[in-house]
Amino acid sequence: MNLPGFIIRNAFRNKRRLALSVSSVAASLFLLITLQVALRELTNPINDEGSSLRIIVRNKVSLAQPLPARQLQTLERIPGIVAVSPFSFYGGLYKGDEKFTSFAQFAVDPARTGLLLADAKISKAQTEAWVADQTSCIVGKMTTDRYGLKIGDRMKFTGQIYPCDLELKIAGIYHGTADDRNVIFHQKYLDELLGNPGTVGTWWVRAASAAEVPLVTERINRAFANTSAEVRAESERAFVLGFVSMWANIKTLIGGISIVVIFALLLVTVSTMSMAIRERFRELAILKAIGFRRRELFAFILAESFGLAIGGAIFGAGGAWMVYHLLNIQKLTNGLFVMFEVTPRMMGLAFSVAALLGVLAAIAPMFTVARTSVVQGLKTLD
Amino acid sequence: MALPIRYSLRNALVRWRSTIATVLGIALVVFVFVLLQSLAAGIEKSSGNTGDPRNIMVMRKGSTAESTSLISRQNLQDIRYFPEIARNAEGEPVISADVLVLVNLPRRNHGGEANVLLRGVTSRGKELRPQVHLVAGRWFEPGKHEVVVSAKLAKRFANFDVGQSFKSGSATLTVVGWLAGGGSAFDSECWLDADECRAIFERNLYSSFLIRAVDDAAGEKFIQRIEADRRFKLKAEREVEYYRKQTMTAAPIKWLGNFLAVTMSIGAVFAAMNTMYAAVGARTREIGTLRVLGFRRRAVIVALLLEGGFLALLGGVLGCAVAFYWNGYTTATMGMDTFSEIVFEFSVTPMLVAKGLIFAVIVGLVGTALPAVRAARLPVIAALKSL
Repeated sequence: MNLPGFIIRNAFRNKRRLALSVSSVAASLFLLITLQVALRELTNPINDEGSSLRIIVRNKVSLAQPLPARQLQTLERIPGIVAVSPFSFYGGLYKGDEKFTSFAQFAVDPARTGLLLADAKISKAQTEAWVADQTSCIVGKMTTDRYGLKIGDRMKFTGQIYPCDLELKIAGIYHGTADDRNVIFHQKYLDELLGNPGTVGTWWVRAASAAEVPLVTERINRAFANTSAEVRAESERAFVLGFVSMWANIKTLIGGISIVVIFALLLVTVSTMSMAIRERFRELAILKAIGFRRRELFAFILAESFGLAIGGAIFGAGGAWMVYHLLNIQKLTNGLFVMFEVTPRMMGLAFSVAALLGVLAAIAPMFTVARTSVVQGLKTLD
Repeated sequence: MALPIRYSLRNALVRWRSTIATVLGIALVVFVFVLLQSLAAGIEKSSGNTGDPRNIMVMRKGSTAESTSLISRQNLQDIRYFPEIARNAEGEPVISADVLVLVNLPRRNHGGEANVLLRGVTSRGKELRPQVHLVAGRWFEPGKHEVVVSAKLAKRFANFDVGQSFKSGSATLTVVGWLAGGGSAFDSECWLDADECRAIFERNLYSSFLIRAVDDAAGEKFIQRIEADRRFKLKAEREVEYYRKQTMTAAPIKWLGNFLAVTMSIGAVFAAMNTMYAAVGARTREIGTLRVLGFRRRAVIVALLLEGGFLALLGGVLGCAVAFYWNGYTTATMGMDTFSEIVFEFSVTPMLVAKGLIFAVIVGLVGTALPAVRAARLPVIAALKSL
């Protein structure tokens, strides 16, 4: 029998223990990946092509404070802007939802959004129908799929932020953006329902090029400085990261839990390895007696421990990748998570943790084996 | 005959080196579970602790949070003289029309920015909320752009010390005092004069009305009257009821806590099984001897289950103890109901400790069940012969 064969036979000798150990490593790594994916989803802005060019302008007081509609004229004159439209977050409850609707509704000026929503793929006829009918809307494909909606259907919303309810006719269905969920309708319709208050929620602006984004942002902020409604213009990415910073300690919390999970993992693997070695103490002493070197014994232990950890990683991390790839996470989490993508980097992390674990778990048994003499080892009864 | 409990306990302790990993593993699972649930409990405690049972809150129909509600001044005139509303010593109805504004402000030490809830409040509003009192400085004077901030928020936001000022909208507001809400949701608010607040932030409308009912029956009648009157498009509910329903922040944390507990416990169960299988394996002869002596299978199973359960309980106690270290620690996150920074304390309740311990014991018992059955099934002769 050759050496690799010996190691593999040894590992499979106690099949139950092997299965239990590999499963506990796998369960923990599965969890580690899940936490990482969730953290990334919560903290990393979703990017599509248009997002690098988009600038979001909100009231400096806070997002909840509206902006005067008359700012449009000033914005249009700022050089470097190729498109600008109001984007008012309506934040209504979709018919049937109790407390929380998982997709957003935005009021925009359809005549101005062509470039701002350049990523959205939608037929020309549908766009024209939408622009023509003030009470119509376009809806992301994820939402129409989820609720089984089709063109011509009506959607009813109860206003939570705005004191008016909405009934919108679906004029078109778009796809191709990073988050195909939103309902987009006419700002004019919202204005009419509210009695023309002359305000909008935010402005969305498209810069001529990515390089000009900081410049344009600066120009917008300056243009409204010291007016009655000062603004905060920032790139879409900075805007989303601003949200993330509001989560405050939650991010730290998930990071901390990941460390606890890794630590728990270490404990399990270490205990398994030392158990496996203790069981075979006499055997290792015999191997020593018949002339195997310490180095070779170390190699046996290390190979087994390493193999066990990597086996766990294959099942745990690979399993997570498969599960999140195959399951419709958006449907399962009621829209809280959309992408839930396991990145190569996370797989790398999981496998590195496993490899490190394999090595660390082997250290204690290696010491014990190195320290005991052959005679001591042979004397040991279990 | 049952084996003495001491047999199980001493067995668990005598192999402490090999079982310490299992105990620690279970401790970590319980720790994570209790810590996350204590966060959720802290949030619920702070909103559940808010309000006065005699008060009734009026908001726009359809809005789920005070901060997104809008009510016209006309409504104030309509409701103001309802007979169900109590009068104060001067014969004035006890009703406060508040306005809430979210303001984006920088945290201390460059910790990014977050929304703070500003409440424009009348002097009646202060009377209606006896939980709130001043802990430093003085109350604001209307017309002077003064604000009283929560002492707990003051620890987190820049320029919130008494005497400092911050800019928002067209105005610069000066902090003249710190308020404390006694562990209620008011600990996450800043107060200023209502009319001034409406002027600064250009609000024509109010956010909510808070009234004190004459008595309980009048309160019920008031709620029904508001609901029934189609003119209003308003809804009324008891203040305590409103705050109890603010659960959107705590719910996902609870969910996360449960999810982690379940997933991590799978790993812990495997680890416990491993330990107990090894324990049974090492004691094969001993168990055989016990059987020969006349102990029944059941007794062996019970003894081993006790052993596993005891180990797990040790882990559970350890996990709860570590989690308890954070009890009362103040932290904050974005409240999903108000969309503003909410301050609360980790709250490790006796209920949570009990849940954590029960959870630990279950993990231990599940992990021990199969090894215990295996031990009991060992043929006596073979067991005695085994080395």
